[in-house]
Amino acid sequence: MLCLIAWVVFGILGLFSVKYRVLAKESFDCVFRRITFKKCNSNLDERIKSKLTGNLMKFSPKMARGVYRHYEFLSWIFVALFVVSLVLGAQGAYNLAMYDNCAGPNADPDQCIFTPDYDVVDCDDPLCDDGHCEECGDDCDCEECS
Amino acid sequence: MMNVEKIRKDFPIFEKKKFIYFDNACMPLRPKVVIDKINEYYTEYPACAGRSYHDFGTRLTDEVANARDLVKKFIGAKKAKEIIFTKNATESINLVANSFKFNSVLTSDREHNSNLLPWQKFDHDVVKSKKDFSFDLESFSDKVKNFDIVSMVHTSNLEGYSLPVKEIIKIAHEQGAKVLLDGAQSVPHKEINVRKLDVDFLAFSGHKMLGPNGVGVLYGKEELLDGMKPFILGGETVSDSTYDSYKLEELPHKFEAGLQNYPGILGLGSAAKYLMKIGRNNIEKHENMLKSKIDIEGVEKIGHVGESGIFNFNIPGKGAHEVAMMLSASKNIMIRSGAHCMHSWFNSRNLEGSARASFYLYNTLEEIDTFVEELEKIKKL
Ligand SMILES: Cc1ncc(COP(=O)(O)O)c(C=O)c1O
Repeated sequence: MLCLIAWVVFGILGLFSVKYRVLAKESFDCVFRRITFKKCNSNLDERIKSKLTGNLMKFSPKMARGVYRHYEFLSWIFVALFVVSLVLGAQGAYNLAMYDNCAGPNADPDQCIFTPDYDVVDCDDPLCDDGHCEECGDDCDCEECS
Repeated sequence: MMNVEKIRKDFPIFEKKKFIYFDNACMPLRPKVVIDKINEYYTEYPACAGRSYHDFGTRLTDEVANARDLVKKFIGAKKAKEIIFTKNATESINLVANSFKFNSVLTSDREHNSNLLPWQKFDHDVVKSKKDFSFDLESFSDKVKNFDIVSMVHTSNLEGYSLPVKEIIKIAHEQGAKVLLDGAQSVPHKEINVRKLDVDFLAFSGHKMLGPNGVGVLYGKEELLDGMKPFILGGETVSDSTYDSYKLEELPHKFEAGLQNYPGILGLGSAAKYLMKIGRNNIEKHENMLKSKIDIEGVEKIGHVGESGIFNFNIPGKGAHEVAMMLSASKNIMIRSGAHCMHSWFNSRNLEGSARASFYLYNTLEEIDTFVEELEKIKKL
């Protein structure tokens, strides 16, 4: 089921390289077959599983065995984590667009690093002169400069 | 005895990367002498052979003649003109299938697609293997009298089993049938003398015998090749032409249409020379020894069990591709998995495929040990 994650990841990487476009297509085919309860046509899932297991074999055959035997279960956990983070990410993006605060309308804006900082202009700044702010242009409400 | 450490120094790739290469039945690594020869063509005389009377042209013509002569010696042919350069073993087999006059053909049940599909449009039958997957000479003797040509693999790419070709050829000839041997897996690994075998045609590829890609050979007895018409026509194949007729060239040129793969041909000549220097008997013994050291239980061996340089297997509960990919990820061990272009064999036995490790002159016992260790780990997963 890791092909779902692979589809999204390769889909993005596929914007930049043909190699990943092919993999994205393969993983999409796999996702489509899996949600229609069919077996994956491409062996992408098998490839990911074998690569992962093979690499783990170098360090810990025990861990490799664990991953190999519970691969399906582990993939579901990863997929669940992936979906949850996707939903939370989408929610944050919505909040940011609507309320300028990805943490939500009533949350402390400091909790969100993307919250736009409108206090960039220090009205005491000597650059703000004669009602005209050199540095900040339109963002500066120079009327308020002292 | 072969000095494997010294041999490995002839292959530049070993200095660059750390890996274990057991996919030799598909494509072996290339020695420096072959790479240098290809470079020599492009850097010193990159011209056409056989038609241009300038410095580069005459040098290349001589080099091609020399390569043909080396290949002739390599397989013990009588005359250089019996050596026809093709693209690969597949094209060589197709050449016979399309140019030799016959009605019916007999193959074995363990043919590579390249020696099966070209014959399917003719009256075609197969000789089934015995229970132990060895060749059934009795069944063959019964059948062969009804066929014009026998086309069989010499050494199988499945597990390296070699058919009793001497007997096959003798029986076929007694019954009036001609014999083509698919030598793709035998010529690179064992001493072959076409005259001693009395084989009519022999097809093999350059790239499987340390040579470059895109070049192969068809050996044919002169009298048979003389009576055949080429199935590809064009430049080089004719000595003269009018708007509606042409006069065919002499052997071997009538079968070598268009400008040839000269760097490939030269590289093939160098590969033949290199293998002759080392001795294919030594190589065969070395490969057999390597395979005999694979001692692992709980692995299902595929095909005939016996001496050879190919180990074909399945690990119960694990897919062949899975095994190959895990070996690659864990220790960079490269093997082949799948149906090995022998779908007919696997389909007839309801098998999906298998994993295959094939050895060559540069493989070592340490590599075999690592391979076995990793298989043990995979088995326990
Ligand atoms: C036994 C055998 N015959 C024929 C072939 C076809 O060779 P090529 O692809 O070089 O034409 C192969 C290639 O693997 C082979 O193993």
